[in-house]
Amino acid sequence: MLTLQLLVNGIALGAAYALCALGFVLVLNATGAVNFAQGDMVMAGGFVAIALVSLWPVPGLVLLPAVVLITGLLGLVFSAIGYFPLKSRPPVSVFISTIALGVIFQNVAMVTFGPEPRATPPLLVAGNVDVGGLTVSIQAIAVILIAALLVGGQHVLLMRTRLGQSLRATAQDREMAAALGIRVNLMIALTFALSTALAGVAGLLLANTYFVTPTDGTNYILKAYIAATIGGWGRLHGAIAGAMLIAVFEVMFPALPLLIPVLPVAIHGMFSQTSASIVLYLALLAVLFLRPQGLFGEIAQRRA
Amino acid sequence: MRYSWLTGLAALLMLSPVHAQQSAPAHVGIPVLVPITGFLSLEGTSQRNGAVLAIRNAPPNLRVQYDVVDTSVSPEGAVNALERALDRGSVSAVVASMLGTQMLAMLPIALERKVPLITVSGTAQITEMGNPYVFRFFPGDDVTKVAHVRYAVEELGLRRLALVYQTTAYGQSGRRHIVENLAKHGLSPVFEEALEVQVRDMLPVLSKAMAANPDGILIHLHSGPTALFIRQAAAMGVGIPIIAGSAMHQPPTAALLEPEELRGVCAEANASPVSGGTPEMERFLQQYREMFSVEPDGFALGQYDGTMMVLEAVSKGARTAAEVARALADMRYEGIAMTYKSDGRGNMAHSAVIMCFDGRTRVPKVVKRYDNITGALTP
Repeated sequence: MLTLQLLVNGIALGAAYALCALGFVLVLNATGAVNFAQGDMVMAGGFVAIALVSLWPVPGLVLLPAVVLITGLLGLVFSAIGYFPLKSRPPVSVFISTIALGVIFQNVAMVTFGPEPRATPPLLVAGNVDVGGLTVSIQAIAVILIAALLVGGQHVLLMRTRLGQSLRATAQDREMAAALGIRVNLMIALTFALSTALAGVAGLLLANTYFVTPTDGTNYILKAYIAATIGGWGRLHGAIAGAMLIAVFEVMFPALPLLIPVLPVAIHGMFSQTSASIVLYLALLAVLFLRPQGLFGEIAQRRA
Repeated sequence: MRYSWLTGLAALLMLSPVHAQQSAPAHVGIPVLVPITGFLSLEGTSQRNGAVLAIRNAPPNLRVQYDVVDTSVSPEGAVNALERALDRGSVSAVVASMLGTQMLAMLPIALERKVPLITVSGTAQITEMGNPYVFRFFPGDDVTKVAHVRYAVEELGLRRLALVYQTTAYGQSGRRHIVENLAKHGLSPVFEEALEVQVRDMLPVLSKAMAANPDGILIHLHSGPTALFIRQAAAMGVGIPIIAGSAMHQPPTAALLEPEELRGVCAEANASPVSGGTPEMERFLQQYREMFSVEPDGFALGQYDGTMMVLEAVSKGARTAAEVARALADMRYEGIAMTYKSDGRGNMAHSAVIMCFDGRTRVPKVVKRYDNITGALTP
């Protein structure tokens, strides 16, 4: 039972990580640049929801479209300031500009909302439900469902629509896409908007259970970066799988002594939250050494 | 001719320093150098607010000049801020960052320039370096963890305690003092684990802690992790007392949780301003709310008391920074939170309280007070 409980928690956490990682990879593919502010966009999504709920106290699900819209617009502004003026410069210029914008977002949030942790409203209602003896929070179920819907919707958008074709064409080869009449700059701007909207939703989802502070973005960008590396640099489904693996590992590893009772008591101390981080980063190094293309192979060839 | 001689004498007397001292307000320079951004911004903002409110309430015979400078979290930021503040003009004392690494960087400058640093930093080392220019107005772990453990063991009768703490310096220091104090009662934790600040899911650590069959849980975590831990514990229905560290006394921490989730949770701190209790505390609470539109915590109150003590020292005649430092080292001051007196090393706070939540509101009640834990207040 504990295994299932941990698994549900891990999947809920991974679902939100996946939205962040997905946005990260979308921009990576479209521009070839690493957006180090993607984690700060998660933070921004949380605070946008908090600002909205202070004006309009409704469940998170009702706020969701507004959060998507506002963070999407934020993505357009982000691309106008942080990407387009530097797009013909070396990639290092873009990722430094994303770091700078991330710091600006952090400090704007700090000045506007203050430093204390805040929580977004639950998507539906707070509380738990009993599912066959398993106590599952309603928020966790809602997070998994919303994330699944968004990932599915994003897949449909990219694979089944003309806009998606244009976005993919731009991501694959900007010069060729432009030669075919695709408005490459518009597609890149829309990619930024889609990416930040996904991050914004992740912020709304995460901040109810895990709260949000202006400096939380750093943690999320690390998770997105590791997910993209493990899954395969530039692979969308790889990023989702990587995010899930990270979250489930983070939740399950420290509890292994309970899940595997035959483990000798003498080594129980090795299975802590701290050692989970060590093992996670060792796994990242192992992937880089042994399978640098990641679990699903690599699309983007240049890494920051 | 005689008239003009008398007029001249009167004018001379009016301009003399003695007369100026009696009527013109004395000048006090108190730069406020605290971390308003970065990971300690919540506590740093409380520090700033406490100091600024104290300056607003300065005795009428003082003219206080102050600037608030954000030191963020880097030692060099704090050092630069301190040097700039000292170079700008006459400084009586400095409200200095509660971040231990910044304090350690600022201490040599304070010693060289003979300027007292007034802080609520919990880092033990800052008062262990023999520097006579540091004064800490928040009880360290050697005080608060005594209260933390004594309440659990003596008042609640707990014997099988699990301990969960942070991997940071704050967490490690708290853990050391908790384990030492448990040992004084002949006890050791039945389970202990350190958590990184970024840990999101508390189910694994709580499951492991409960598997050790504890009768209570001591936690020493930062604000966000404290709220996450207590929320998860409520969801699991652990049903045993949780006695938290001082992060739980901060109103923003309680605001993250539903009152019902807080039922049975207790915490240690220097004081619980939101709980009120005395006319002075009520007045502080009202002024703080009016001025900053937020709830005060113990850090704000500690910094308020410390700054007020500096102002009282100047009001009573300390003019230079070195004189203020000497006064702080010798004075006994009745603050709102407690009585302050240096233990000879600059530790001014020697009391702690335990507060508990009843499950109906987010405002805790002070249930136990531990005064003069170090014995420094004993004449």
